[in-house]
Amino acid sequence: MAISERNPVPALAGSASAYVTPSTSFGVFKRPVQSTGWRSWVFTVDHKKLGIMYGVVAMIFFIIGGVEALLIRLQLAAPNNRVLSAGAYNQMFTMHATTMVFLFVMPMAAAFANYLVPLQIGARDVAFPRLNAFGFWCFLFGGIFLNTSWFLGGAADSGWFAYAPNTALAFSPSHGVDFWALGLQITGIASLTGAINLIVTVLNMRAPGMSLMKMPIFTWMVLVVQFLLLFAIPVITVALFLLTFQRSFGAAFFSVEKGADPLLWQHLFWIFGHPEVYILVLPSFGIVSEVLPVFSKKPLFGYKFVVFSGAAIGFLGWGVWAHHMFASGLGPVSVAVFSVATMAIALPTGVKIVNWTMTLWGGKLRFTTAMLFAVGLIVEFTIGGLSGVTHAVAPSDTQQTDTYYIVAHFHYVLFGGAVFGLFAGFYYWWPKIFAKMLNERLGKWNFWLMVVGMNLTFGPMHILGLQGQPRRMQVWTAFRAGDGFFNLAFWNRVASVGSFVLAIGVLMFLINVVYTHRTAGVAPADPWDARSLEWMTSNPPAEHNFDAIPTVHELDEFFHRKYEENEATGEIHQVSTYEEIMADEATRADKHIHLPSPSYWPIILALGLPLIAYGLIFARLLAVFGGVIILLAMFGWSMEPSVADESDYDPPVDGGPTKELATLG
Amino acid sequence: MSHSCATKPLQSNMTTVKNVQNQSGDSMTSNSTRRRRWAMPVAAVAAFTVLSGCAKDAPQDTWQPAGENARKIHDLQVWPFGIAGIVLLIVCAAVGYSVFKFRDRGQAIPKQSHGKPSLEIALTVLPALILIGIGIPTVSTLFDLAKTSDTECVVNVTGQQWWWEYDYPAQAGCGGIEKPIVTSGQLVIPAGQHVLLRISSRDVIHSYWIPKLNGKRDAVPGRVQTLRMQADQPGIYSGQCTEFCGLSHAYMRMEAVSLDAAGFKTWVDNQLKPYTAPTADSKYSEGEALFITNCTRCHQVNGILGTDGKEVIARPDKYVYPGVAPNLTNLMTRTTFAGAAFDLQTEACKTRLWNTPPAQFTAAYLEGVTPQCLDIVQLREWLRNPTTKKPMYADPTKLATTGGMYRGMPNLGLTEDQIDKLVAYLTERK
Repeated sequence: MAISERNPVPALAGSASAYVTPSTSFGVFKRPVQSTGWRSWVFTVDHKKLGIMYGVVAMIFFIIGGVEALLIRLQLAAPNNRVLSAGAYNQMFTMHATTMVFLFVMPMAAAFANYLVPLQIGARDVAFPRLNAFGFWCFLFGGIFLNTSWFLGGAADSGWFAYAPNTALAFSPSHGVDFWALGLQITGIASLTGAINLIVTVLNMRAPGMSLMKMPIFTWMVLVVQFLLLFAIPVITVALFLLTFQRSFGAAFFSVEKGADPLLWQHLFWIFGHPEVYILVLPSFGIVSEVLPVFSKKPLFGYKFVVFSGAAIGFLGWGVWAHHMFASGLGPVSVAVFSVATMAIALPTGVKIVNWTMTLWGGKLRFTTAMLFAVGLIVEFTIGGLSGVTHAVAPSDTQQTDTYYIVAHFHYVLFGGAVFGLFAGFYYWWPKIFAKMLNERLGKWNFWLMVVGMNLTFGPMHILGLQGQPRRMQVWTAFRAGDGFFNLAFWNRVASVGSFVLAIGVLMFLINVVYTHRTAGVAPADPWDARSLEWMTSNPPAEHNFDAIPTVHELDEFFHRKYEENEATGEIHQVSTYEEIMADEATRADKHIHLPSPSYWPIILALGLPLIAYGLIFARLLAVFGGVIILLAMFGWSMEPSVADESDYDPPVDGGPTKELATLG
Repeated sequence: MSHSCATKPLQSNMTTVKNVQNQSGDSMTSNSTRRRRWAMPVAAVAAFTVLSGCAKDAPQDTWQPAGENARKIHDLQVWPFGIAGIVLLIVCAAVGYSVFKFRDRGQAIPKQSHGKPSLEIALTVLPALILIGIGIPTVSTLFDLAKTSDTECVVNVTGQQWWWEYDYPAQAGCGGIEKPIVTSGQLVIPAGQHVLLRISSRDVIHSYWIPKLNGKRDAVPGRVQTLRMQADQPGIYSGQCTEFCGLSHAYMRMEAVSLDAAGFKTWVDNQLKPYTAPTADSKYSEGEALFITNCTRCHQVNGILGTDGKEVIARPDKYVYPGVAPNLTNLMTRTTFAGAAFDLQTEACKTRLWNTPPAQFTAAYLEGVTPQCLDIVQLREWLRNPTTKKPMYADPTKLATTGGMYRGMPNLGLTEDQIDKLVAYLTERK
């Protein structure tokens, strides 16, 4: 396991044959040790390759979810529109939310976390590399499984919140909800294994000298999120199991006629669902907390406050779930408690906004695209945060809940917050990851179209909601639109037009990616004059990340190696360059670096899961087959040494790469 | 702009041309309204000034309370909205100032300061104080709105896919109701009285919401939850089911009607008057016979007698989920049908009713659906094939997917002649 790589033990490193095991992969297949070609991706356990794959797949799901959103907006552009039937519309908004939450924002955050956390803490990989690969394949297969429902009788039509008893067979007769429950179960495994992996990595594998309070803020926020996942995913897992048993095996957890209380589902769902909101947004908070200091040439203002407020959000996030249920009839005492708790969570969130603004204050600001997205996030997220306070006022929320006002609120939080942060991350880290600079000119188009588009789309929804337009309605009518300035017809049309502007903005990004990879030359290794350890690597990072594990003395270690402060005058001046620092590091390069070898087992194990899921829906025998695959894969996995056997490698040809070099690529 | 005032005369705005293609009773798009809607944003500032005067906002505007409960919410939420607006301006100003002031103009690298705890603490305590200021009235309003001790009138409200049933238990409240009343389509309440809705559901979760009268309350199967209702004046207020409840959620609308005390008494008496059978050998009596054969599996008309001389009771079987359909005894006293999704009135009459001033409203409503106002097209379309007008799980060819269960009204395969007679019979249900 990679844990041992932190302080390589020469005796072990020298002889992989020290492991007493049956021959690798039962001696039937050689380990897939290729370092190029498709095998190097499919069987990889490298956190960077997995990070890139997470990102690519999440981006594809972002496009799918976006198309679903555009169809929704087309349907709502005019009264009594007929673009989508009621059934199709219900599937569309269910899958739009499910896709964006579970298949785009969460895995995209996982992409950044996977790629960057080991680099930011000066590690060579995550703690459990094969588990990491397994998580990715679970996410991919779960996402594909969910979306195949479109072609196998219709997608889930119950909303992403899937309130019981509307998910019962009688009310949702297609297989959509089965696909939804089982698909999320599979992607949930990805989140859970990822959480355990990253927690262990961050707590155990930091470079020497990097105390928790010298850890980059992005890694901190990722750590908080992994703890949230660790406790939230089991709750939704339980809820989804109950649902699957209800639908597939005749259980009665939510059957009112048998004495069940359907509010059970709501509590389970939102105990998961509210921390989930912070799971979605905190990684982006981490990203902008990296981007703002770099382009302000100042450290993050109040680093400790940002860390602790992030942790505070992590704790308080568990005490506010019932604010999704203010109209459910919990009674005034419960509602009062959750109302006040919800107001309280505004405080640590406000702390972040203050600190970001104060980071800008007095800085030396460079408005690159990454910086624009980060500053955009401050403003857009503030709007979402403030509308959040208005529905913490529970009586007021009974007017707003389930209207477009809520849709406006959480899109400002999730699009203006989470998605803007992710885009800031794309532009900021692209040269690190791909050694190419995304085009700044296209980037500015990307940013401004997205800002204009999102405000045109989601801004009017505040009006729509306060004017009484409920969510999840396939049609609205001219009679209830009114004809004053705030009439629903006009503002619905604005929102629909805005959604296409937004789509063009996202398209700009995709064009930028293609354009950049066709034309751009190799990017400078430290193009932004960055501050943290991930930039203290070759460009792009070598498979083993660091030739020598750096020793950390400061928060913003890389910056402090480049710059020094004149104690007398307080002036900052450069003392060394990236090249000098790297040359210095190279002198202490580790001689024997061992990385875990690629493996077949993660993808095979993950492949068994959708088989079980399809089996539960269509043919139980298939589920048994899937179960057998999983058992075999678990067995194979547990017997497999982390480092490949000599015999797995082709013999060197003409002094070609030795085993070690082949692994390192 | 003045012609968009709430009290505008009918003819200035709505032509009486009926839009037969309209799929929904709520749509009233005419060219004139369309043009005006486009013109509005162009003159946004002008519109704003008019707003305070008379421009007509959507009927579900949550900022125009028409009863004490909605007003309490309104008076409470004015503050957080105002404060949120101010905070937003401050944040925008601070960010905007930084962006312009501290742009890189070749200045020296700033001092690497790590923050100022005193400022942090001050900027945490200040919002905490503001939130306490918001929290206290929030909690007190919350308990205020949960109060049931001042109830003067009780109505049971039951949601099901995709319509609401209102039943009035016999009570001394509401000015006295001797026998239970079962109705649907419109919630009728006495103006000024503290009405308590007891809300439940027969199938999935729905949510009852008349924005101008109060916030929403979920209708949860297996639970009875209360919601206070009070309307200051006679009038009609629209609402919408706001908890996603399946296929036809968007068509599950509601309207609440408040009448003055005398008018409410008249309404109650009319609901309880005995059934009079139509004259024999007329299209009405043929319609009654058709009703008994085709409709009474689900629909009830109180007092209707079968050929055996016994009262016909709606007997939904196990294939009809959730087992009931609206009671049609006094269909023409309400102006909507099929879950308030469609109108029994023409657009012109509907607009006139909705714009009737409070003083005349009670009388106007109690007229019911007059022959001049009846929109026979909608009703005929509905009887011809309901599932094409409103999405429902009632297509006999697709019942396999629902386990043979109907939810909603199926196509009964009626001939045009049968529809004529049924419509004739139904229009007599006053």
